[in-house]
Amino acid sequence: MQYLIMCRSLTWAQRSAALLERSGITASVVKAPQGLSTSGCGYAISIYRRFEEARNLLLRNKMINGKIFRRMENGEYQEIG
Amino acid sequence: MIYLDNAATTMIKPLPVGRAVLKAMQTMASPGRGGHEPAMRAAKTVFDCRMEAAELFHVPSPEQIVFTMNATHGLNLAISSLAGPGTRVLVSGYEHNSVTRPLAALGAEIHVAEASLFDSAAMLSAFERQLPGMQLVVCTHVSNAFGFILPIYEIAGLCRKQGVPLIVDASQSAGVLPVDYEKLSAAFIAMPGHKGLFGPQGTGILICAQPGSPLLSGGSGSDSIPQLMPEYLPDRLEAGTHNVCGIAGLREGIRYVRQSGLDSIFAHESELLQTMVTELSGTGGLTLYTDRCRNQSGVLSLRSDRRNCEELASLLGEKGVCARAGLHCAPYAHRTAGTLESGTLRFSFSPFNTREEVSRCCQFIKDLL
Repeated sequence: MQYLIMCRSLTWAQRSAALLERSGITASVVKAPQGLSTSGCGYAISIYRRFEEARNLLLRNKMINGKIFRRMENGEYQEIG
Repeated sequence: MIYLDNAATTMIKPLPVGRAVLKAMQTMASPGRGGHEPAMRAAKTVFDCRMEAAELFHVPSPEQIVFTMNATHGLNLAISSLAGPGTRVLVSGYEHNSVTRPLAALGAEIHVAEASLFDSAAMLSAFERQLPGMQLVVCTHVSNAFGFILPIYEIAGLCRKQGVPLIVDASQSAGVLPVDYEKLSAAFIAMPGHKGLFGPQGTGILICAQPGSPLLSGGSGSDSIPQLMPEYLPDRLEAGTHNVCGIAGLREGIRYVRQSGLDSIFAHESELLQTMVTELSGTGGLTLYTDRCRNQSGVLSLRSDRRNCEELASLLGEKGVCARAGLHCAPYAHRTAGTLESGTLRFSFSPFNTREEVSRCCQFIKDLL
């Protein structure tokens, strides 16, 4: 299952992904799907595995500043935090 | 050709720099503009350069590394963020026009801490004496005209004690001397990418402790709906398309500096300076601006009684020696040193210069005089 953590900027997303990768969690920076950002274009980190671990790591490092979405089976995104 | 104008720009770069520029030109699009592979490749390159710079300058977060066109751009950003009409600003007597002109244009009240060339103690005393009542300090780390290494860490300490924000011009020190963001606690540190960091022209870095005020407004790649530039770095100060090819090259330049080591680079340039001073000392009619190479980077200015500096530069040019004559866009420095009327002929070294080149240049000078 795909999780998207919205980031305030591309650089922020890159920094977050780098933090996760250093901890062995695979994360990639992606352009946010349309409609997920309330302020226009956005970037997000995409995570498929170890999501809870990733979220906790980012929270501990004060690196979460956007909404979190889970991709549903029908392809739509559900906000989870 | 003997290229000794590295204080203007380092023309000879490590090979990976050119290769990276070409590769970027052929394979990279713009970061923050799309989600496709060439855009993400560009984004990774730009981010990697931020990380390299953050490591070299001990900056805790890569967002604080803002890419600029050059040091002048960075200094204008920094100065316009902290100064306005009537702001009382203290500068050293060795500042470049990229510091003094923006201050003058803003109508700031400029005060000058003067001290003789290479006299660090006197420079520090001057700052200590004149700092009370100031609202901002802008200070060069190394004079571009004379290579004088100012006691910037001590000056930064004075500023911290008195709560006065500091902007550092690291144009001549980045890539040669330690420029430590954490130890300086400066509000902004500006530098070109194309001198000691061996990047292409058209690149620069502004290290930001605070968001600053944008000089340009435009596309930032995300958060597009609000009509003011974002509040956060680096986006706030990076409107428009990045110079991705330049930044790709700059990344390799910074890697070269980190791999070579600042101590090694400075030692090499100091050795070349010492060589030139030794070989030219005692040459009739020649004034060398040095105090036994004390408090001096790899830059040497000189003057001759027998030929003016432009003429000397031109004649040396005919022999394949590249050096810069005149005021070096630093009239303040020349006024302080007493060379405003004559200007000087400046030689500036890089890790790619050799002792043999310097010796040949010295012989040419002696022959011409």
